[in-house]
Amino acid sequence: MMKKSMKKLFALLLASALILSVFAGCSGKSTENSADPANSPAGGNEEQSQAPAPANEKPIKIGVLVADVSGEEALGFRNYYENYIAKNYNVELLYTEQLTDAAGERSAIERFAAQGCQAIISFSSSDRAMQVETCAQNKLFYAVASGMLDDEQYETYKTNEWFVGQVGPSMETEFEAGYAMGKYFADKGAKTIAMYGAFIPNPMHVYRAAGVIAGMGATYGGASDMGAIVGQIFGDQGVDPSKVSGGSVELVSYFQGYGETTTDELNAAIQAQPDAFLSVGMATTFFTQQLNTAGIEFSDIDSFTSGNQAAMTDGKLVYLAGKYSSSIGPIFAAVVDAVNGNPIRGEGGTAISVSQSYLVATDTASFDKYYSADQGDSPIYNKELLDTMIGDSVTYADFQAFVEADRS
Amino acid sequence: MNTNQLSWKELGRRSGGALMIPCAFAVILLTLCAVNGRAMIANQTSFYNFVVYTAIVMVTTMALSINLNSGRFDFSLGAMAILSSVVSAKITFALLGGGAGSAPCMLLFNVIVGALLGLLSGTLYVVLRIPPIITSLGVTLIFEGITYTITGGRYVMQEVQNASMSGFIGTWVYAFLIIVAVLALTVLIFDHTKFGYDYKALREGQKVAVNTGVREVPNALGCYAICGALMGVVGFLNTARNTNINGGNLNFGSISIMFTAFLPMFIGSYIGRYVNEKLGFLLAALCMSMLNSTFAVFSNELNASTQSIINAVLLVLFLIYLSNEGALRRFLRPVRKNASTEVRA
Repeated sequence: MMKKSMKKLFALLLASALILSVFAGCSGKSTENSADPANSPAGGNEEQSQAPAPANEKPIKIGVLVADVSGEEALGFRNYYENYIAKNYNVELLYTEQLTDAAGERSAIERFAAQGCQAIISFSSSDRAMQVETCAQNKLFYAVASGMLDDEQYETYKTNEWFVGQVGPSMETEFEAGYAMGKYFADKGAKTIAMYGAFIPNPMHVYRAAGVIAGMGATYGGASDMGAIVGQIFGDQGVDPSKVSGGSVELVSYFQGYGETTTDELNAAIQAQPDAFLSVGMATTFFTQQLNTAGIEFSDIDSFTSGNQAAMTDGKLVYLAGKYSSSIGPIFAAVVDAVNGNPIRGEGGTAISVSQSYLVATDTASFDKYYSADQGDSPIYNKELLDTMIGDSVTYADFQAFVEADRS
Repeated sequence: MNTNQLSWKELGRRSGGALMIPCAFAVILLTLCAVNGRAMIANQTSFYNFVVYTAIVMVTTMALSINLNSGRFDFSLGAMAILSSVVSAKITFALLGGGAGSAPCMLLFNVIVGALLGLLSGTLYVVLRIPPIITSLGVTLIFEGITYTITGGRYVMQEVQNASMSGFIGTWVYAFLIIVAVLALTVLIFDHTKFGYDYKALREGQKVAVNTGVREVPNALGCYAICGALMGVVGFLNTARNTNINGGNLNFGSISIMFTAFLPMFIGSYIGRYVNEKLGFLLAALCMSMLNSTFAVFSNELNASTQSIINAVLLVLFLIYLSNEGALRRFLRPVRKNASTEVRA
């Protein structure tokens, strides 16, 4: 009898543990700083940060779509929003867990809407057109941080009243960043390179990879111009090394994505003993230790973080095209304006679209210069600067000049 | 004299049987590389990778086979490896801050935590008495959920990226020592102890073994604990090799770790007809490592998905062979007989 009861108890415990584990899987940090239980998401899968609100003023509630939860750049961005913006503005920021597909993005936006968010800032790019539409359906302002819609999508949605805008490197800028990186190593005399295509067909990575190939002085499938190379890479859903020809640099190994086989692919690239390992994103997050150990010089397009500083100072990172972690400050200001009823619109009521360019560090001194200029409590886009862009008299031209100003 | 001759013949038959598949792999893959003007193991780095990969496959295969051979299908092996690594990495980092000795310390904790997780999994199976395949599905979800909660779905990197860990993987010696130690321990435990005799008795006939006094429950718990400890070793090797731990595996995302061991397990069991099964797993792991090294050589021509397809096709072909082995022998026997008759004539 006792034994039977124990069995039932164990069965109950197992069932409870299973249910808890399923919910745990959907959750990150607890939402303990949420006073209102209604604010807790249905699945409990958002994390939040919020500054103490003035007694009689409700904080602006913004949902942040996140596709990368581990990368150096992503962590730098998050640190800026959580530890600077949230502490200096009356704003409540809710974060998703890692979003891997369009369905996840849609359900996150709908959940944010249910939680009373007023705007969405997106770092996730599985389906940005769908994101704009879902935000409009749910009457949420929508902005893209550190990236852009493609030209066709922007033309489609630029007059949508819920689309606040986009601030980040344009696709041409991404191509140029890749081009400069490829050229740097070609000029340096590299004869063989390995390349990491990050998360192609993500457009940002496609354009960067196309730039690298062109920068190496090579052609792809016989093409040498941006549009033709990009079109082929989209078609191939990756870079096909057999289509890379010409130039003085040989592409000896290529791989992309991150999963079960990545370590084997990286090992294959290392075994090919290239003169340099060029990455169009995330290599500093995933491969720094292996590349340092193998003694292979590498490069990446990322941001100026402490991890990358260590890789450049003590490791083999020799080229980094990066952004400031606080480069996502201006789009935050634009979102606040929109929520406050002062949207910044261009001619014909168009949404903001301002391109940010990359800064390049090729040695510790240049890296330190950029890194030290943008520290946690004293970011480049600090409250004093951002406040100049928050108000009812900010014009599109003001905002554009603000973003494009050289702050290095 | 006659006995000795028979013994030498038997030895030759066994050696031939055991080495037949590894030699076939070696000949085919080396020829493939040579024809294309490449080397399967071109440099020191590729040799290190070869040994480390062999260790990972061999230990995973052993862990999988221990319970599977007794009819207990365990989906939770991958989740055990990941969770034990996450916990061990956190503890080790808290203790040593990534300093000297981090790798051996983490390996030790991996084995301990892995064994405890295995024991927990076994206890649930024993207490609930529901089919192990169902229990292990639940346990997988629990372990994945705990891992996700600890890591927040992020990669665990800072804790495992240090000189000690890179030093561990930067040579073939440590992985080789792990191969030797695991092989020796498993042979000792399963072939030369009462626990091992009981395990074999239960495997061959559970009812008969229980009726003769073999205690089934402690043996099953012991098997789960050993599996867990082995998966702790696998988790450590994977962590050192990947320089991170993916804390975002959910919805059975960890199962793939276990599935890498299926082909070598069948190959190893086949080789086990001729030599000790554990040695068979090592030889099978060598085959898989040769295949992996060849994939590395042709990485530009064969992408990851093509490699997965080749692995799956090989598994299916081998299973087809095993399922039809008897029929194949019957089919070939008349041919052999006819051939020998013709020779005599």
